[in-house]
Amino acid sequence: MDTVEALTAHIQGLSGNFEEIAHLHPLLKLSEELLRMQASRLAPFLDLLDPAKHSLGYLYLLEAYSSGPITREQASALLISFVGFINSCSAEQIRLAPDKFISVCKRLKDQVLQHKVPIQGVAPLRTAVRKLQISSEHLTTLHSEFLLLCLLSKCYKAGLNILDDDIFEVDQPRDLFLYCYYGGMIYIGLKRFPKALECLHNVVTAPMSAINAISIEAYKKYILVSLIHLGQVPPFPKYTSATAQRNLKNYAQVLGEEAKVVMEQRVGGDTVLNDVFGLSPSVMYFNIGRKAGFHNAIEELVWFAANFGPVLGA
Amino acid sequence: MDLSQLQDALASKSYDEVAGICDELMLQIASMGVSFQEEWPYTIHLIGHLYDSDLNSARFLWKSIPSGIKESRPDLVAAWKIGQCLWNRDYAGVYAAIRGFDWNPEAHGLVAAFQEKYTERVFQLLVSAYSTISVADAAQFLGMSEDDVTNYALQHGWTFDSGSRMLTVTKPKIVTEQKLDPSKLQRLTEYVFQLEH
Repeated sequence: MDTVEALTAHIQGLSGNFEEIAHLHPLLKLSEELLRMQASRLAPFLDLLDPAKHSLGYLYLLEAYSSGPITREQASALLISFVGFINSCSAEQIRLAPDKFISVCKRLKDQVLQHKVPIQGVAPLRTAVRKLQISSEHLTTLHSEFLLLCLLSKCYKAGLNILDDDIFEVDQPRDLFLYCYYGGMIYIGLKRFPKALECLHNVVTAPMSAINAISIEAYKKYILVSLIHLGQVPPFPKYTSATAQRNLKNYAQVLGEEAKVVMEQRVGGDTVLNDVFGLSPSVMYFNIGRKAGFHNAIEELVWFAANFGPVLGA
Repeated sequence: MDLSQLQDALASKSYDEVAGICDELMLQIASMGVSFQEEWPYTIHLIGHLYDSDLNSARFLWKSIPSGIKESRPDLVAAWKIGQCLWNRDYAGVYAAIRGFDWNPEAHGLVAAFQEKYTERVFQLLVSAYSTISVADAAQFLGMSEDDVTNYALQHGWTFDSGSRMLTVTKPKIVTEQKLDPSKLQRLTEYVFQLEH
């Protein structure tokens, strides 16, 4: 394809049925370079295409357009086009190019976070997850992005619908870690501690060859939640990976013991931890931390609880 | 903003759906990039959550409301007062908070329905917790005058002793369904027989 105009014409012509799309797809792949070079010019071509019928072509153009530099004025219009596209696109077509779809959704998430309106992204990402999934048991990269937005916008209930699905198929192990970790946080926010324990347990016992930051944080919260809910910290089950068993114990040992001491000091365990997981660190908290002679880890945990995702570069 | 779904629910008195509809509408409108905070019916949204006894959602909603709006809307503050009494388990305070504010017509139906539902809930609590209760205490829990509370209790089958001003609780009989009927037993036997042979 030489020009974007020709490509657009092809998209419009070849989006009728499945064979035509199969024809179109390789053409689009070949034109990626062209699209990238012409990124800033693509806006009018997007208007010519219908996101519902020409979903695949629209996706390629949108992805190339958004990968270029975006001015502030264009940003809000871009957000609207992202949302409109996600709501009206055809699931079969976008599943042919899942990576592009995922990167478009990630850009939506970045924009929404940049403009500090995470709630704007919650409904679109929920739709996106449902469209990208092959079945409700399939975990995609978008699941964790969606849960992150739910957490940051405090719309915990919105995430429940997706969280309640059992997962049997996973694309990437990192997705599972993040998904279960954020899922645990959402359940903690809703005070459904048994389910939170389940999710965090999954992170701690997931197979891993090298220790990662997500599981360390998850383990710390796992200890605290099991103290609230069960009054004690259960030992590692047999199927925990060796890496996890060796390393997590070191990282979290001090926290575990001190937290136990704190709880036993009857400083109102429930309200204290309410404050943590209610995401508003209170003065009482730091006093308790100082009292237990243990300012740093609890402060870190509280700060982390208040900020969730960005630390992990998610 | 298209709030017709919410208005329909209020008009048809399906108050238990109000919170869910509000949540969904809020997400949809937010995704359009519209800044909805000024015109959003937060009071109805909040009371909808209280109606569902979903104090967590009510709390998160309160936290997410910008402080300018909190200050400029007295009905919202009054609605949150009810939420606070519920959170602190201040049973009598809930009624005081409801009565202490002149609700606008839109919210009025919802608040009245909430009050009724709450009264029933507290009544059930009393039934399960007390065997005898003084009229004064019951009046406080149920937010009614002593005469009203006596009538209410008598209607629900309690007995009243005017000498000591005490109400005796009658717990409703728990009817356990007869789960084991002969045809099911027969089927079960057949299955086991098939499996074993």
